[in-house]
Amino acid sequence: MSNIIEIKKISKIFKIKEKEKGLIGSLKSIIKPKYKIKKAVNNLSLTVEKGEIIAFIGPNGAGKSTTIKMLTGILCPTKGEAVVAGINPAKQRKKLAYKIGTVFGQKEQLWTHLTPYDNFKFFGAIYDLKNYEIEKRIKELNDTLELEEFINTPVRNLSLGQRIRCEIAASLIHKPEILFLDEPTIGLDPVVKENIRVLIKRMNKEFGTTIFLTSHDVGDIEKLCKRVVIINDGKVVLDDSMENLKYHYLNNKIIEVKMKEKVNLSDEDGITILKDKGYNLKLSIDVAKKSVADVIKLLNTDKIIDINISNEPLENIISNIYKGNKK
Amino acid sequence: MLTEVRSQIKVTMLSIKYAIMRELLNKVTFISNIIFMILNNASFLIQWLVLYSIKDNFGGYTFKQVILLWGMAAITYGFSHFFFKNAYHLSDTINTGRLDTFLVQPKSVYLQAITSDVTVSAIGDILYGYIMIFVTGFTIEKFLLFTFFGILGGISLTAFIIILGSLSFWFSRTDIIVDTGESLAVNFATYPDGIFKGIVKWILYIALPVGIVNYIPISIISKFNIKLLLLCSIYCILIVLLSIFIFKKGLKRYSSTNLMNARV
Repeated sequence: MSNIIEIKKISKIFKIKEKEKGLIGSLKSIIKPKYKIKKAVNNLSLTVEKGEIIAFIGPNGAGKSTTIKMLTGILCPTKGEAVVAGINPAKQRKKLAYKIGTVFGQKEQLWTHLTPYDNFKFFGAIYDLKNYEIEKRIKELNDTLELEEFINTPVRNLSLGQRIRCEIAASLIHKPEILFLDEPTIGLDPVVKENIRVLIKRMNKEFGTTIFLTSHDVGDIEKLCKRVVIINDGKVVLDDSMENLKYHYLNNKIIEVKMKEKVNLSDEDGITILKDKGYNLKLSIDVAKKSVADVIKLLNTDKIIDINISNEPLENIISNIYKGNKK
Repeated sequence: MLTEVRSQIKVTMLSIKYAIMRELLNKVTFISNIIFMILNNASFLIQWLVLYSIKDNFGGYTFKQVILLWGMAAITYGFSHFFFKNAYHLSDTINTGRLDTFLVQPKSVYLQAITSDVTVSAIGDILYGYIMIFVTGFTIEKFLLFTFFGILGGISLTAFIIILGSLSFWFSRTDIIVDTGESLAVNFATYPDGIFKGIVKWILYIALPVGIVNYIPISIISKFNIKLLLLCSIYCILIVLLSIFIFKKGLKRYSSTNLMNARV
């Protein structure tokens, strides 16, 4: 498959004014301003294939949004170059806009006093679509994203979940090749989150749209993406398939056990007690040092009433990678 | 090129249409805003009536010319505020990262950033301007020149405000500079230029869009002069080009933000 996004050693440096605390600090900063150089994105290289759903994740301040903004033409890179759908975003912003769609969960693009239908008409005009093309596309999006129920209700009266669906629909009005989703499920309840995920998957399948997703929600990443790119301090710290991520980083197993009698177990090499309530224990096992079978033997199988062995949650794995605890 | 311009005009007109639709949601507020703006402008004429009852000439202007000057200032201000309201909030748009929305769209960021809202009360200013033509004696020629200079002045005033607002790309908050610039331009535009001397007069004709936008058009309406008309047109083109240049230069420094915001 061909690459739809190619990022070549891209960097973005911000000059941030620093101020000492209090009023005196503010006065000092006027007379003698001090600046801090912040490398939001540092020599980042990455390629994305056409039709991929990629999770681009990292802790707050890692450089995710800055990277997306450089890929969509909002920001110009300080160094390096990006090519998105064959176009350099820094040089041909308008041309690129026809090929990409963006949804920023924290920023609303829709006119809140207008209905989704009127909004779609407006966005259609922005992308130079003819009236009949807009109507046809609205019908398609209506079917795929199930907007019928509220398409004629002013956006300000919609629930957050309905609004996000409309934001996604508006960003797809011109059939973009790539959709950039920056925390699309932020603030949504679990049911709505799940609905949005289903819709994103459907869009990828039905329209072949490449999805570039950033999210702090592990559910989004686990359920949508086959590839995960983790960045920290503006650099890629991991670029792997979801399958490999789970396989290589799942060294820990979680054992939850209910005992007939109280067990006296202490932390030892390979075993970490997460919770000890006498008859109920929650242990984290490093399988590289201790096998699950050895731990069960230690507990005495005759005295076990119930046992549950599970993988370490993906959230913990990602969090550990963020912290640099694992490589 | 022509298709692109047509498409840009279509989007700009749609933005204005939708902004009016929002304002029409509350009809009473919509109408009262217009009426009260006309009354507000009319109230200032009382002070001139009192002054002209004492003396029949101020700064070389008759009472009728002062009324026309008020009309010109009102239509210029009204045109600018009605079609380009967001130019007056450009500093805020830059600082809160709201340019992001326009940057991912295939249209002019410059126009999108200034045309996506309207000030309803500005309709009152425009109507007031036209009422002043009738008060001072209506002629077709006067009407056409007044409309022409109203649009030209509105565009020039907007460009001046964009230049001040674009400074936010360099100095973060410049909303106070914009407010001050606007107040100076509007306040000076309602006094006869003959009362100003020396450096103040220079400022009014060079630094502020007052002399060429308001005083010269009034003199052209009183006594037509093609050279002065061309001067006003060239000034308008130059100040618009300067505002585009500064905005585009600043846009390269745009750093966006991750502040949460909504388009209301």
